[in-house]
Amino acid sequence: MQLEAHPSAFPNAEFEQLMARYQQADPGAVAVLVERLSPQLYRFFASQLGNRADAEDMLQDTWMRIHRVRHTYRAGDPVLPWVYTIARRVRVDNYRKRIRISSRETSVDVLPEVPTRNDETSSLPSFEELVAVLPESQREVVTMLKVDGLSLEEIARVTSSTTGAVKQKAHRAYERLRKILERATKGPERTPPPQSASKGVAQ
Amino acid sequence: MTCREIDGVIGSHSGDSTLSREAAEHVAECESCRRLVKALDTGHTSLEPSESRLRQIQAAIKEDLRPVRPLASSGVFLLAFMLISLAVVAIGSLLLGVNGWNALSTIQRMTIFAALTASVFLLAISVVRQMAPGGKPSISPRLLLLGILAGLILATAVIFQVRHETAFVQDGLACLRTGMTYSMPAALLFWALLSRGAVLYPKLTGAAAGGFAGLIGVSVLEVGCPNLDLYHILVWHLGVILLSAIGGLSLGAAVDHFRRRSIRGHSRF
Repeated sequence: MQLEAHPSAFPNAEFEQLMARYQQADPGAVAVLVERLSPQLYRFFASQLGNRADAEDMLQDTWMRIHRVRHTYRAGDPVLPWVYTIARRVRVDNYRKRIRISSRETSVDVLPEVPTRNDETSSLPSFEELVAVLPESQREVVTMLKVDGLSLEEIARVTSSTTGAVKQKAHRAYERLRKILERATKGPERTPPPQSASKGVAQ
Repeated sequence: MTCREIDGVIGSHSGDSTLSREAAEHVAECESCRRLVKALDTGHTSLEPSESRLRQIQAAIKEDLRPVRPLASSGVFLLAFMLISLAVVAIGSLLLGVNGWNALSTIQRMTIFAALTASVFLLAISVVRQMAPGGKPSISPRLLLLGILAGLILATAVIFQVRHETAFVQDGLACLRTGMTYSMPAALLFWALLSRGAVLYPKLTGAAAGGFAGLIGVSVLEVGCPNLDLYHILVWHLGVILLSAIGGLSLGAAVDHFRRRSIRGHSRF
């Protein structure tokens, strides 16, 4: 059995070299970094938000911040934890901004965008539907592990926690997902669509 | 192989992720694991940002592309923090004298200065590690600051006694003013150093820098103030840490506010 190959299969050493060239203002390195990292980052946002327009805005915001603090990348350090720590901060800021805006607005009964299904014939919920029911911290860990392909150690750096804590969160998430999947395949009951706007964002 | 072990395999795999024979056998037999593996690997790879957005991002970055000097190592920043701390305490001791140092017993001297030195060192390490995103995990400055405050209160309560004081508030306010006089310039210097880093969490960084500067203010007071009353030290000396941390937090909040506004402006390509 083969699990899907991850986008992060790009060697870390090459990312490190590209970052060094980016710091030296090499436009070629910028192009490669944006091309290679953006799909991963976009999935990081989209899988947790369920809203693709917002995910693109956050992707753009993340690159702006990366550009502003590019000098804080130290040669030899792993690139992905550095990038994802910034992306995570963008997500937290965006969540707070949404809260501020929604507190000023009256309800207009907009339905949440339901992600498109890859395989309509499948009885399984899509990844986004599935992780939407998880608590924020578990959803974040599962997304970084499965969508972005980060290792446990890298996630520990991004979330400022320990590898053990990340492992524990992933295990709890999988336990919960097993139960949800069992219910989903047994009965007609479906998991709810993502409700990111109403969920807390772990800092 | 058990389902729990499969969780470990799912969780730790990355890159080229062929399941081991044992794991594959378990997944083939166990419906629950099979469903989980399939569900987690379905759907998300089809998500891609639009080409036009990627081109916009690249163009915006290239427009503002200049060489930058990478951040110095953590050791350099740690050294700078320690040198600033030593310099401020030395200046304070020169200007205020060493009456406090002379009034302390050997045990009090060893306990309070060992606690202050350890606190300064630990907080400096924690704060410096926050400068580069995604660095090695360390104790959060927020927790550390609370722990330091609790530790110092405990140490003070153990080694100092209650003494009769005639002008508790008047003497206390003078000490608080003196402590803040030394902690404020130290806080500004620390902030100037920290702002060289990413400062992703300005409020937290501000509070930590303020608390750190407060520790320096307390050190100056312990060297200069001969009042050994327990309540005087607890309220007016250690109060410098609290006040400085609150000041740093406010500064951080202001920086955060202005930075968000600036980002919103820059985001409109």
